[in-house]
Amino acid sequence: MRHYEIVFLVNPDQSDQVPAMLKKYSGVVADSGGKIHREENWGRKQLAYPINKIYKAHYILLNIECSKETMQELSSSFKFNDTVIRHMILQRKTAITEKSAILMNEENNKSENYKKNDAMSEHEEIKNVEDSINTNIAI
Amino acid sequence: MKSFIRTNIVKPKFCKFTSEGITEIDYKDLNLLNEYVSETGKILPSRLTGTKTIYQRKISSAVKRARFLALIPYCDNHK
Repeated sequence: MRHYEIVFLVNPDQSDQVPAMLKKYSGVVADSGGKIHREENWGRKQLAYPINKIYKAHYILLNIECSKETMQELSSSFKFNDTVIRHMILQRKTAITEKSAILMNEENNKSENYKKNDAMSEHEEIKNVEDSINTNIAI
Repeated sequence: MKSFIRTNIVKPKFCKFTSEGITEIDYKDLNLLNEYVSETGKILPSRLTGTKTIYQRKISSAVKRARFLALIPYCDNHK
């Protein structure tokens, strides 16, 4: 059994097929007695450069423990699947289960945005209160 | 004249990875990789960044992986 890390990009027009694809691949791995240690869906992301005139893609990360033969089967299925634009397979020494840097980064950005929004709404409330005070004084 | 210019440009250089004890460089850590890539998308030489040779090789392979997955551009004029 070996540890692998797979990243593959799916055509954004067919991104509704992603759950079915994941089910299929996890089924292939489970049938051969392998394990999926990490499964991440990064969602639709802007590509740094267009690939075959496609500007966005759906990213999926998988960390898998399986035999060499099943990996070959998976990689050939990526190759002959038209919805998969690009894929990369790496061999890893151990099982990795922590959240990846990209997901962490996105979450941080989101929380920062929320904070900003909260700050903005507080600011508006204060403004409203000030306005009402001003109107009261005017009356 | 030349020596005068050179002394002005010199900045303190140090290897981030040896000082912070980072052993593995992940191709998914884009904030880290962007520190070692120029504005035009080229990998910066270690003589400018001060990284040790071992880590420079790891950086270059990580940047190349990120480029292949279109997380980082190859250059600044992609069509």
